[in-house]
Amino acid sequence: MSVINYANRVIDFKIVYYGPGMAGKTANLEYIHRSLPNANRGNMISLATGDDRTIYFDFLPVSALTVRGFQTRFQLYTVPGQVAYNATRRLVLRGADGLVFVADSQFERLRENVDSLQNLEANLKEYESSLDEIPYVLQYNKRDLPNPAPVAYLEFVLNKRATRVPFFEATAISGEGVFETLNTISRMALASEFGVGREKRDEAS
Amino acid sequence: MKLRNTVIQQQDATRIQEMLNHFLAESGAGEALLIDRGGHLLAMDGAAQEFDAVSISSLAAAAFSSTAAIAQLLGEPEFTVLFHQGTRRSIHVSTVDSDTILLAVFDEKTTVGMVRLFATDACRAIARVLSETRARPKPQDEFAAPLSDTESRRAWTPPS
Repeated sequence: MSVINYANRVIDFKIVYYGPGMAGKTANLEYIHRSLPNANRGNMISLATGDDRTIYFDFLPVSALTVRGFQTRFQLYTVPGQVAYNATRRLVLRGADGLVFVADSQFERLRENVDSLQNLEANLKEYESSLDEIPYVLQYNKRDLPNPAPVAYLEFVLNKRATRVPFFEATAISGEGVFETLNTISRMALASEFGVGREKRDEAS
Repeated sequence: MKLRNTVIQQQDATRIQEMLNHFLAESGAGEALLIDRGGHLLAMDGAAQEFDAVSISSLAAAAFSSTAAIAQLLGEPEFTVLFHQGTRRSIHVSTVDSDTILLAVFDEKTTVGMVRLFATDACRAIARVLSETRARPKPQDEFAAPLSDTESRRAWTPPS
């Protein structure tokens, strides 16, 4: 969960990119890493197999705006999407302040998207948390491929909780939608630290 | 297990810094990093500035969590210590409390036994401070009012 340090006036957040294998989670972080100036980002670490599949996580620390005298920093993580790696997925999820669910827009990947979202909810339960408590957004990635499902259909299948969350169309490999997604989840995580959002979080913990 | 947010106030930071400093002086370790298990670096002392302490914190928290998961598969609640030996530098990671770990980096100037011995004391002392920190009501000051639109403006500008 977030860390507020009054001594060095810093707030740290953890944002986790979740979703099925090959949906483009790592591509999001790679684009952010390529695009931000050095002053706003640290080193990107990828724990991947020889064929570039994430085996544990990718990690990218980035720093953003100063709010009320506090520097805000976000640690961006991806989880391994492959079904077999659920134990490590659950470990990476620990302490998340915000979630980006990266869905693969292709029709033939709809089943994997649904399974992964259900897996996310199950893993949050392990931490006595849920999607009702943690800010999250949906990203419909790979819109550039030839057979994407219509957004309305993806919304119907994936964004069907009582409170609908923001969603973004994206082509992470070329950067489309990447920063829109990051900006929104960052603002949502930030807002949860202030005012009513904070009171709600304190009650929940 | 429900996770908690961490608020470190000035007086806590000072006490923790003194404890890390004391630990380094007694154990002979070169650097000490206090890390939450979500991967955030909470405090550090020593010459750690020459390291990428943020990345080390993230990786150490992940490694420690992994070994905890292995422990559970073996029927242990947790392995309380993690030790990796290098040719020049080694690391020793130990449990502070359910949310926090202490990582020490050391070389041939000391031994893993010395580090382990004093890490145990340091972890106990730091755990007491963190317990007091978490029990204290959170200060309301800067965080009382909701963020305005201006304050939560775009954090990053997409590259053109």
